[in-house]
Amino acid sequence: MSTLNPSAPASPRRVARPIPQGRNRFERAMWLFMRFSGLALLFLALSHFGFQHIIVGTHQLSSEDTIVRWGLAGESITVSQLFWRLYYGVMVLLAMLHGLNGLRQVAYDYLKNKTVYNAFMAAAAALILAVTALGVIALIVGVNASGAVEAIAR
Amino acid sequence: MSALISTVRASLSYRGREGHWLWMLHRVSGLGVLLFLILHVAGMSSAFISLEIHDRLLELYKTPPFAIGELALAFGLIFHAINGTRIAILELKPELWQKQQLATRLSILIVALVAAPTILIMAAKSIQAFFGAGE
Repeated sequence: MSTLNPSAPASPRRVARPIPQGRNRFERAMWLFMRFSGLALLFLALSHFGFQHIIVGTHQLSSEDTIVRWGLAGESITVSQLFWRLYYGVMVLLAMLHGLNGLRQVAYDYLKNKTVYNAFMAAAAALILAVTALGVIALIVGVNASGAVEAIAR
Repeated sequence: MSALISTVRASLSYRGREGHWLWMLHRVSGLGVLLFLILHVAGMSSAFISLEIHDRLLELYKTPPFAIGELALAFGLIFHAINGTRIAILELKPELWQKQQLATRLSILIVALVAAPTILIMAAKSIQAFFGAGE
């Protein structure tokens, strides 16, 4: 009956284990990152979607527009092309990391098997970081007008 | 798999009402937008590999399956943005926790007001592109 006595010392089993300091710092940093990147994406992603998907519309897209906005590889870029590249670059980085951390939180809740969780997150992180790198490299290099994959080798 | 089924079943029967539905929808819309984002960035990066591939992908995006998917994306993105704003504001202002349900209903209203015209405009453009005269 000791559990009913408020003055009895708490069972050691009931004491929650403190979160390791390193993980605590990481989660706090991620919590902050989700708020700040979310705030930035509120403007970046919604302005991009509003302009390209609603005002212009997918049916008006053409590769000529991509070249005008983005610039050709090997040519000097204009101020507006530099703006678009920075705009897309910041957005891609923030959105991908925001998504990767969100995926981690959801996966942590549902993938209870540690091996499955680790394997899933390793694969997801590799895919997301690879696509992010591809997008950033594409923005830095520019549009390849020669139409040949071999041009990368130059 | 059975864990997934029981998770879905428990989530749907949990009586958290609006707040719980928004929590679930925030996760689902987040995952959906992430999936689109990966495909979108990989697809647009094709301009750096080959303009021919880029042109073909842009034409592919103008087909009905992608047009319908884009409407789902519009809703998911708008919902995630507005609901995320609600979450961030409430976390910073504990004095508003008394008004959780009002905030929840307000978010649903704002999402509806923003998403409805967006989806109508996009759907109208798609319908004109698919069934419009002369083109």
